[in-house]
Parts: sequence; structure tokens; C-alpha cells
Amino acid sequence: MTADQVLQGLKQALGARLKAEVRPRKVGVKRPLELQELWCEIGREDLLPAVRTLKNLGPLHTSIISGRDAGETIELLYHLAVGFGTPGGEVMVTFRLQVPKSDPVVPSITGILPGAETTEREKIEFLGVEFAGIPTRAHVFLPDDFPYHPWRKDEPGIEKTIKRMVEWEEKRHGGSGERT
Amino acid sequence: MSALQAVWQAAVVLLGGGLVGMVYKGVDRKIAARMQARIGPPLRQPFLDVGKLMVKEAVVPRTAVGWLFEAMPFLAVVAAGTALLYLPLGPFAPVLGAHGDAILVLYLLAVPALAMALGGFASGSPLATVGAQREIVMLMSYEFPLAVALVGVAWRLSSLGIQPAFSLGTMAAQPLWGLVGPLGVLGLAILFSCLLIVTPAELSKIPFDIPEAETEIAGGLMVEYSGVYLALFYLADAVKTVVMAGLVVALFVPFGLAAAVGLKGGAAQAVDTLFFLFKVLVVMLVAVTTVRVGMARLKVDQVARGFWLQITAVAVVGLLFLVLDKVVMG
Amino acid sequence: MADREKEHNPGIPVVAEKVKVEAPPGEERPAPVPTTYEVPIGPIHPALKEPIRLTFKIEGERIRGVEVRTGFAHRGIELMGTKRNLIQVLYLSERICGICSISHPIAFTLAVEQAAGIEVPARAQYIRVIFSELERIHSHLLWAGVAAHELGFDTLLHLTWKVREKVLDILEELSGNRIDYAIPIFGGVRRDITPEQYPKVGEMIRYYRGLSDELMDAFLRDPSVEARTRGVGVLEPQEAEALCAVGPTARASGLRKDVRQDRPYLVYGDYAVKAITPEDYGLKPLGDVYDKTVVRLLEVGQSLDLIERCLEDMPPGPITSFPKIPALLAHLKKAAGEGLGWHEAPRGEVIHYIRLEGGLDEPSVWKVKAPTYSNLMSWKPMFEDQEIADIPIIAASIDPCICCMDRVHVVREGGEAWVTKEELLKLSWEKTRRLTR
Repeated sequence: MTADQVLQGLKQALGARLKAEVRPRKVGVKRPLELQELWCEIGREDLLPAVRTLKNLGPLHTSIISGRDAGETIELLYHLAVGFGTPGGEVMVTFRLQVPKSDPVVPSITGILPGAETTEREKIEFLGVEFAGIPTRAHVFLPDDFPYHPWRKDEPGIEKTIKRMVEWEEKRHGGSGERT
Repeated sequence: MSALQAVWQAAVVLLGGGLVGMVYKGVDRKIAARMQARIGPPLRQPFLDVGKLMVKEAVVPRTAVGWLFEAMPFLAVVAAGTALLYLPLGPFAPVLGAHGDAILVLYLLAVPALAMALGGFASGSPLATVGAQREIVMLMSYEFPLAVALVGVAWRLSSLGIQPAFSLGTMAAQPLWGLVGPLGVLGLAILFSCLLIVTPAELSKIPFDIPEAETEIAGGLMVEYSGVYLALFYLADAVKTVVMAGLVVALFVPFGLAAAVGLKGGAAQAVDTLFFLFKVLVVMLVAVTTVRVGMARLKVDQVARGFWLQITAVAVVGLLFLVLDKVVMG
Repeated sequence: MADREKEHNPGIPVVAEKVKVEAPPGEERPAPVPTTYEVPIGPIHPALKEPIRLTFKIEGERIRGVEVRTGFAHRGIELMGTKRNLIQVLYLSERICGICSISHPIAFTLAVEQAAGIEVPARAQYIRVIFSELERIHSHLLWAGVAAHELGFDTLLHLTWKVREKVLDILEELSGNRIDYAIPIFGGVRRDITPEQYPKVGEMIRYYRGLSDELMDAFLRDPSVEARTRGVGVLEPQEAEALCAVGPTARASGLRKDVRQDRPYLVYGDYAVKAITPEDYGLKPLGDVYDKTVVRLLEVGQSLDLIERCLEDMPPGPITSFPKIPALLAHLKKAAGEGLGWHEAPRGEVIHYIRLEGGLDEPSVWKVKAPTYSNLMSWKPMFEDQEIADIPIIAASIDPCICCMDRVHVVREGGEAWVTKEELLKLSWEKTRRLTR
């Protein structure tokens, strides 16, 4: 599997809506290699077709979904790897999705890849995103009654908690001055 | 034998049995540790353990059936101690030899296990319940080979016209090895090995420590026991180890040393007592310590299948050899 | 005795309720009601070395369902990372897990190096690989010992861990620490492996090669171990693929899935590392606990080979492209971008995502994925229809690292180098007072 093949497949499925960037990565000392990673920006309506395309291209693996609060939207990054099993043949594909905070719903990819359930559930509790069609929404890491979504920057409660923790640490170490 | 004498002897045997059981537990732990490339606890560790448990608070869970939960440790100790009184101890005949035979010892050996199972059920914890279920299954599986070994010896004795054949005292006084033919010796050897395999199961030691299985059910039966109750179970286990090893010795290696070296009187008794204790120790080391060091824990279904099919079959083969021997020897 | 009655441990719910199964409509007499009961394992349990709660639905001795609850060690380390500068985060990442204490920093430095465009000198790449392979040896031996303990085979536990001391000694010799080696830094490594140390590593390699037969014997040819691990906790290859299992868990099912092979990084590409499956031992992969043992033991041998070849090939040269930390910090502060770093930890794929905003000391996003995170889902099919007795070994078979997954530790920097017993006591008192206040 090469990045080009993956890119062609994705282009066929999504057409012009796909905004893709190929990032090379140099590895090795004696036998230098250049691996290529795909970073794509897609809309949330294109997520399921895109993941399905990858699944058809080869064995697919969900590494993780990462995300951040990007102001008006929540940015989700799906780090998927396609085509394991051959030396150097796995391509890392990252889908970047912007989800508006007013309507934070994303289709769940667990129907295609059941293994993505844990990471999707984690995003529910940490970012307050909703995944349509996820089998269970139970919390993974936080207590069941935890009131905030810790990675959201518009949550005042979290900032307070952190401040309290940092102050406590400062007090114990006499403040190293470098902390923020 | 006067009643007073019986009481006096029983007291000595019980105290001595408990003491020996605890010391042997220490030896077992020390030797096991050495085999595992560890230093191990000091020999007196079992005494320290029991002493500490005795002064600790005993917690009875709210969900437990209180009286049953509290009564069972006492029952276990009493049963194990009583079994000790029916065992021939080296040169000495069983203290209560006139009042019960080998079959009673079988039942008495089962009682501590039953008591532990009942205590487990009564403690109202799911882990203890699982442990209790397993204990019952274990009990059902190892009892049959044990009974076969015992009955085999008794039957062959009675077929030789030696009575009372079912008395352990008789079995110990008349070693069967010299009285049977070659087929009989083979049969006895098979029964002997069966009994050695049953021993760790009877004592719930690895690979048969399924009812307690620390890493699976967190101590199973014992999970809710603490303080003095746990100490009692510990004591019962120590005594039971002596009883079980003593049973093996009485059935299959009851030979004395004193007669061979021509000692008489008190000296002979002393030597034979020490030799008996030594034999018990050897049986324990062979059947318990080395086995528990060298094996992984089995699963309850594996054990049940093994005892019901393989071990029982082997025991029956041993019995058949004894029968053949009777036919051949007439 | 009534006064002795104490509160039953409230932490562990005693559940023995009978769950009734509704008879299907239209049937007049209800079918015999199958009864199940729940057995909670954890968060505190002797079979678990770390806090996690598994609630099993049991029917007789068979498991009919499992519910996993994690998060008992969650401390929000990723959020903490976004409040500290990258060097501090590097220390945090090292303390995500004591056993994978080189895997997380390697993945993290790779991610930051991609984001900030930092080159790593060749020698540093070799040193990182040597350390991560040493870690693989010690982690796999640790796992083997734990697995033996779960099976009730404590002798094997003691012997395996005794053998494991050798690699820990070498790690201490090379880095100064048995765990938390503090070796990788952005743009290189912090310590070189000196020529005087080569023979010691070589001696360790010979030591383990000499022992490999014995270890194989003890774990793979012992009848009682085999009876407990064969056919237990099976993970089918299709399930492993669908559930995104990683590391030895996936490889035992026959998937040739190894980040070192699939997406080479550092110098792994040079050596064409091959993912090991039970086929390499001449077995048809079943995906049971036995196969997972096979894979891990074979990987110890693979790691020894890799270390040996790395030591031979390692070119002389600088070990870092930023010898001065202030220069590094200045460079990192200017850097903007995002990066992904991955590493095949002993337990499977570790992946770190980092996002740097130019002009800020701290990263704006830091996402960590530990291997157990991926393998969590594969517990369900593995537990299905197994016996209670198999719970510990199945749970252990994925080599769970709950703290990795929960991302736990809090770093305390600048403190004393040694903590005496009294200080430890004082610390614990202090903490208790704080908690009760």
C-alpha cells in the first residue's frame, strides 16, 4: 500500500471535496526510506464514505481520535492506519473534521470499525461531541457524574480545578516560578 | 483404658499434633521458598501468624449468616483434631482406636472441607460462594479414590483373616507389603501413589487450591474470614496436614525403626515416634511441598475430570491387582 | 458476637441477584429460568495489579458477559501537558507508565520532532532503539512472571523475575535507572552508550540466549501451564482486526501487525523487522493465551538480535542536535505545527499526537494512546464463555497497563534525589491530612 493508492481511492470516493496533503517522513540510517502520511480535511458528512473507502483498500486500524477545542468548532482528528501486514506498507491517514459547537454530532464509525468505540466514548466525555449510532455512551475514564467536558475551553469549572491543583503544587515546592 | 487416661492422652496428642502441624507448615514454607530461589520466612512464622490473627479483630460481614459463619472454624478444628485421635502415631495405637475405625477417619477428614464450604456460603460474598461451590466439587471428586485406597487395604487384610481389618491400628500394626504376593505389592504401590495424589487435593494445595485460588477469587472461601476465625482455619489446616500425612503413613509405610535396630522399652518408643514424625514430614514434602512448587493451579473441571476418570481408574486397577493377588495367593 | 458485626466493605458491592430472563411471548410455560449472578473483579483484587473494574455475568462457572470500567487512575495527564513546557511534558510522558517508560517518550519526541522539524543524529536513533528493545525484554519477562502468578505457578514467577534482573541491571548501567530512563530528548538522546559498556550488553545477550531454552521449556512445554493456557481466551483474527487489537495480542491471533514493520521509524526500517506470530514457532495461530506467550517469548529473542545488530552498526557521532537546552527550548517555542509519533511498545502501538502553536511554550493539544487502550475492546470476545478460573490469565493476557491507559502519574520535579523512609512517611501523612481536610 502506498500513500498514492490511498489518495486515489479517497479522491474517487469524495471527489473535489477532499483537501489532502501528503507529508513525507524520512526514516532509517543505512537504508533511508521516505514514508508518506496523508492528512486530509473532510466534512463530517464525508466521514463514513471515507472510512469505508479505506476499509476496502486494506486492513484498517484505528489508532486514536484526537481533538481540540478550536473556538467556534471542535476539531476532531481521526488517526487511521491502512494496510498493515507488509513491511513499510502501512499508510497513516488523518482525517480532520470541524464540528460546530452548536450541533456537535458526528456519525459513529463503530459500524465499520468496532474497535473505535473506546476512543469515541472518550471524545464524548472529554469534548462533548455526540456520535450518532455508537452502541454505548458510558464514560470510559471520568466518573459517571462528572459535570464538565475537560478539553472544552469554554468550561469554567475545569480551569478552576486546574488552578487549584497548580496552586497546591506551587505551595508544596515553594514555586519554581516557571509555571503558568 | 480408663476415661482419665484417654483424656490425658488425647490432650497430649492434640497439643502435639497442633504443634507439629504448625512447625511442619513452617518447614513447608521455608523449603518451598528455597526451591523458588527465595529466602523465605523463619520457621516460626506460622506461630507468629496465628498469634497475630488471634489478637486481631474478627470482622463478620453484615450479609453473613452470623452463627454459621462463626461456628464453622470451630467445627473444622474440632473435626481435624478428632481425626488425629483415631490415627496410630508411630509406636502408639490410636487414642480412640476402640471407638471408631478408618471409615470414621474418612468422614472426619471431609468435615473441615464441608465446614469451610458452609462458612463460605454463610459469608454472603460472591467470591466465597464461588469458592464454596468449588470446594464441594473438589470434595466429591477426590473422595472416591481416597476411599478406594483405604478400602483396598482393609479388604486385603480381612481376606487374610486379620481382624478388625478396618481399624487403622490393625493396618499400621500389620504392614500389608510383606503379606501379599508380587501382584499385591504392585496393587499396593498403585494405591499408594493414588493416595499421594489425593493428599494435596485433600489439603487444598496447589495445583488443587482451587477453592481459595488467590489470584482468581481472592481467597475464595476465606475471603471474609479474619482474626481468630481465620486463625482457627489456619490451625485446622495445619492439623489436617498431619492427619493426612499420618493416614498415608499408617496405611502404606507403618514400619518402625526400633525393632530393626533392636531397641526396647522407652528408647524404642522414642525412636519410633521420631521416625513417625520424620515419615510424616517426608510424605508432606513429597506430596505437598514439591508438588505445589512445581505446578500451576488447575481448573475445577480439569480436576473433577482427572479424579473421576483417570485417578479413579488407576485406583480401581490397583484394587484389581489386590483381588488378583488374592486369587493367586489363595 | 453482635457487637463485632462490622460494616461490610462498602467498596465491593455484593451482587448475587438473579437476573430473570423473560420467556418469549406466545409460549405458555416459561422455559427453565437461566440464572446468572454478577461477580465484580476489581478495582482492588489480587489478580489485578492495577485498578480496573470488571463486572462479570456468570452462569455456573461460565462467563456470559463482561462490563469494563476504567478510569480509576485517571489524572488528566494530557490536560496537564498543555499547561507545561515541552521539556516538562517529556518528563510527564516518561511517567505515564513505569514499564513503557521509554515507549511513551520515544513516541512523544518523534511527534514533537515532526512538528518542529528537528533532525535526529544517527547514533541517537540507534541508542533509542537499543533502549526500547531492552525495555521490551524486561517487559515481556515481567509479563511472563505475572502470567505464571495468575496461574498459581509462583515458582515460575520467582524464577522469571530473577532472570529479569539482568536486563534491569543493564538498563541501570546504561541510563542510571532501572525504570524511567530519561534517555530521549527532542533531537537526540541524553546519554551515550560508551565502548566500555558494549561488552556488558553483549554478556547480557549471551546470558539470555543461554536461558531461552529453559524459559521456552518452562512456559511452553510444562503440562500444567499448557492445560491452563491452551484454548483459553481465544481472539479470532477477524475479531482482532475489527477491534483494532495491537501488539502481541493481535500477533498471537496471526495478524502480522507490528508498527516496527508496518510503519518503520528510527532505524527499524534498516533491519526489516518482521512481526512475529505463532507461525514462526511452527504453530497454527489460535489466538489463545498460549499463543500470546509464544509471541512474547519469541520477541525476547528478536529484541536480543536487534540490540546486537544495533551495537555493531552504531556509527560514532553526536548524540543530540541540540546540546544546549535553552537553544532547544527557544527552537521549540518558535515551532508551530502538528506531529504524530508512534512506537511499538512491548504491549503494542503507542501513538502521540502533538500540536504546537508558534510562540507558546506549551503544546496546545497532546493526545496519548497507550496499547491497552486499543486492546480493551478485545477483552469482550476473549472472556466470552470462559470459566471464572480463567479470568485472571485472560485479563493478564493482553498485558494490560491500566495506568498507561488512564495516563496517571504526576511528576514532582526539583525535589530531593533520595527519599528516605521518614520522608516517605511524612509525605503520606501530608497527603492524608490534605485529603481529610
